[in-house]
Amino acid sequence: MRRPRSWAQWLRRFTQAAFLLIFFALLLGMRSKEGRELSPFVNLFFDLDPLVLLATWLATHTLSGLSLLALITVAASLLLGRVFCGWVCPLGTVHHAVSWLGTRRRKAKTQLADGAWSPWQRTKYLLLLAFLVMAIFGIHWIGMLDPFSLLYRSTVTAVLPAAQYAIEDSTTAVYQADPRLGPLRATTVTEPIYEFFRDHVFKTSRQTFAGSTVIFLFFVAIVLLNLVRKRFWCRYLCPLGALLGLCSKRPVMRLKNDTAKCTNCKRCVLTCPAGAQPDAPGEWRATECYACWNCVAACKENALGFAFESPLRKPTKAQLDLKRRAVLASGFAGLGGLLGLRLTPKAQATKFNPALIRPPGARPEREFLQRCIQCGACMKVCPTNALQPTSFEAGLEGIWTPILVPRIGYCEYECNLCGRVCPTEAIRPLPIEEKHKVKLGLARFDTTRCLPHAYARECLICEEHCPVPTKAIYFVEKEVPLRDGGTRVVKQPHVDPELCIGCGICESVCVFKDRPAVRVSSAGESRHTGNQPILPTPPDFGNYGGNNTPETGNADPYG
Amino acid sequence: MNDRTRREFLAGTAVAGGAMALNSVAQPAPSDPPLAMSIARWKGAPVADEGLGKMATKLTEEVIAALGGMGRFVSKGNTVWVKPNMAWDRTPEQAANTNPDVVGTLVRLCFEAGAKTVRVGDNTCHKSTVSYPNSGIEAAAKAAGAEVVYLDKRRFRKMDLKGKVLQNWPVYPQMIESDVIINVPIVKHHSISTVTLCMKNLMGTAGGNRGTFHQDIGASLSDISAFVKPQLNVLDAIRILTAHGPQGGNMSDVKRMDTVAASTDIVALDAFGASLLGHVPDAIATVKAGYERGLGQMDYTKIPHREIEVA
Repeated sequence: MRRPRSWAQWLRRFTQAAFLLIFFALLLGMRSKEGRELSPFVNLFFDLDPLVLLATWLATHTLSGLSLLALITVAASLLLGRVFCGWVCPLGTVHHAVSWLGTRRRKAKTQLADGAWSPWQRTKYLLLLAFLVMAIFGIHWIGMLDPFSLLYRSTVTAVLPAAQYAIEDSTTAVYQADPRLGPLRATTVTEPIYEFFRDHVFKTSRQTFAGSTVIFLFFVAIVLLNLVRKRFWCRYLCPLGALLGLCSKRPVMRLKNDTAKCTNCKRCVLTCPAGAQPDAPGEWRATECYACWNCVAACKENALGFAFESPLRKPTKAQLDLKRRAVLASGFAGLGGLLGLRLTPKAQATKFNPALIRPPGARPEREFLQRCIQCGACMKVCPTNALQPTSFEAGLEGIWTPILVPRIGYCEYECNLCGRVCPTEAIRPLPIEEKHKVKLGLARFDTTRCLPHAYARECLICEEHCPVPTKAIYFVEKEVPLRDGGTRVVKQPHVDPELCIGCGICESVCVFKDRPAVRVSSAGESRHTGNQPILPTPPDFGNYGGNNTPETGNADPYG
Repeated sequence: MNDRTRREFLAGTAVAGGAMALNSVAQPAPSDPPLAMSIARWKGAPVADEGLGKMATKLTEEVIAALGGMGRFVSKGNTVWVKPNMAWDRTPEQAANTNPDVVGTLVRLCFEAGAKTVRVGDNTCHKSTVSYPNSGIEAAAKAAGAEVVYLDKRRFRKMDLKGKVLQNWPVYPQMIESDVIINVPIVKHHSISTVTLCMKNLMGTAGGNRGTFHQDIGASLSDISAFVKPQLNVLDAIRILTAHGPQGGNMSDVKRMDTVAASTDIVALDAFGASLLGHVPDAIATVKAGYERGLGQMDYTKIPHREIEVA
């Protein structure tokens, strides 16, 4: 099918590509660089996201400065409709491209069904409502479905590691086998490819994430849904799309169908990825349309075009018409979901999970969950890959939120990047001097494994790596009996509980790689006074020999 | 190595050195065997932290000149690996990593001696992506024209170290296969090896579960030192870390010594380094093990050496 050209359609494609590139460039730039510099635009897309703004405000009754940029998106929607979905949203662009690739060879009849409006498109408004009701009561699950959160989390934990794995391991296989034919070596091709990606794209060592398969499958599923209906996600599910749809009920820019010219050929419907009914005069659905210009470009009669009109005039007959009963039901579903998630002892926060070690600067658990949108930015920026998505350590309510897993990586003493990239300040951006004082947990030795304790051998790798300036791990020289009746003096390590910050480097470097002989648990974490078993020693009351001033010892940055 | 060049150079230094306050203990005549070690101490006006770069450069230049110049070790067209300690995410002031200006100067001297490629890299303890830049060494080495190599995990290869405890152990081939290896540690306290100096710094050539070396630090480091055999060791004692090593963090543990020493004898240089931290060489397991392995002398005053004062 030949279509007339439309410069607006091309401009839209170009804009989409540009924003997608910006999105990935910002994502790849979110890493530990020299001097720990970060681009000031590192959170651009989250700052532009009114859903994050609204849900965070509902959950916490606070607003943070840059997130007010989201009002630009709201203003644009009020004036121009869902242009954000059609022109800016990177996840929308992914869906748009996949929809086009997947359905362009289909028969016209199928495409006609694809392009038609379905009452099920109201689902997204009901989902939005249910999630916002949960947000009011402090469950921030909006990040599960927020498009930026979803795309960010999926890219960071699954797509990017998979791409890096594919490129690195295939070129490594060639490098190690080094196949050659006379003077021609395969590595002359594969090594530059490998080096290009290493030096100009990934720029950091490969990360891997526990449970990322589930996140990956979720992402693949919503991408494949585009084969069921074009831009299925955006039409039926996206809560941000729903919020912007609500803002777009009376846009200034509206689609006009010149009935004198229209031959009712339905070409516009074939190309519509939104189910916005461009064909029926007066039935065009402003809340669904992405202003993608496909219909205008497809119309051979020049019957379609966008024009400006006063927002005071009711645009069309086709309004949202959400049924009151459905709205109430979704509100109650939100409440039900809330209660369901809060039923477990974990959610009651009277007991603490030893494995639930949160990043430095993380707020107390309830407040943390009210803010975290599970976007994975902290996991991407963490230089040691220590931050991992939870499975059920924080209950279902806290799924995919970040925890520190010292067996995988440790909290770098001089690094505060996770707090600086967090778009909702679930992890507070602490100045480095303050971050040094934050306790994530407490280390303890397993003396049935630790070499100097259990096997009369020297080791002290943990003490060597302990980053606390006066060392939270100290050692005592002890004479231990040997098998032959003799003795040997070894240096046995111990933890000074006042100095230990729970960074996990000791566990991470322990020579035992199956189950380290020194392990960190959340006990003593600064963010919960209820989880602090150690009574701090007054500074002038004698101490364990360390330099325990209140500043380095037990200061609580949370007051 | 080109003997004639070295003699010419020594003769030149002897003349030029007249102005310098030379305090040599065993100053050899040009016909004596080449010096095995030199120590350069700053005796000029006290230098504030801001001026330390210039002093480090001067000390490094002089200590290498005293050994006969870089041309003694690096020939035209050589590939050189300069192996500093850049293992920790710490700033130069914290004295956990080698002084960046010492490294930069060595790189420059290598190029002046005709080196084709000079690489700088270390198998770090913290992530190299943070410790390389924050140590200041990456910038200094690059400014001098070196290629800063981020070690590639997949390029470690098991080699037969023929050691007592380390036999088949992964090392970094690009490092090992360089024509010249210059080992450039900093003087620091360490709980297991008491001090960390030249031999300990060579742990940064190895991969694998290196933590196990601590169980017999003397034998492990003798094995790795005997295998790597750096042609030249340069010990940075401009700032030294006297306690809570090897990464420190307390500025009160950092002490200014304003000294750089260089040697072809790894054990003698480590013995000298130990003395800076107030230890007798006998008390240091690695020095003792290295001496017993025949890697060098325990008493640096017994080998041809020169101690110079730089102002």
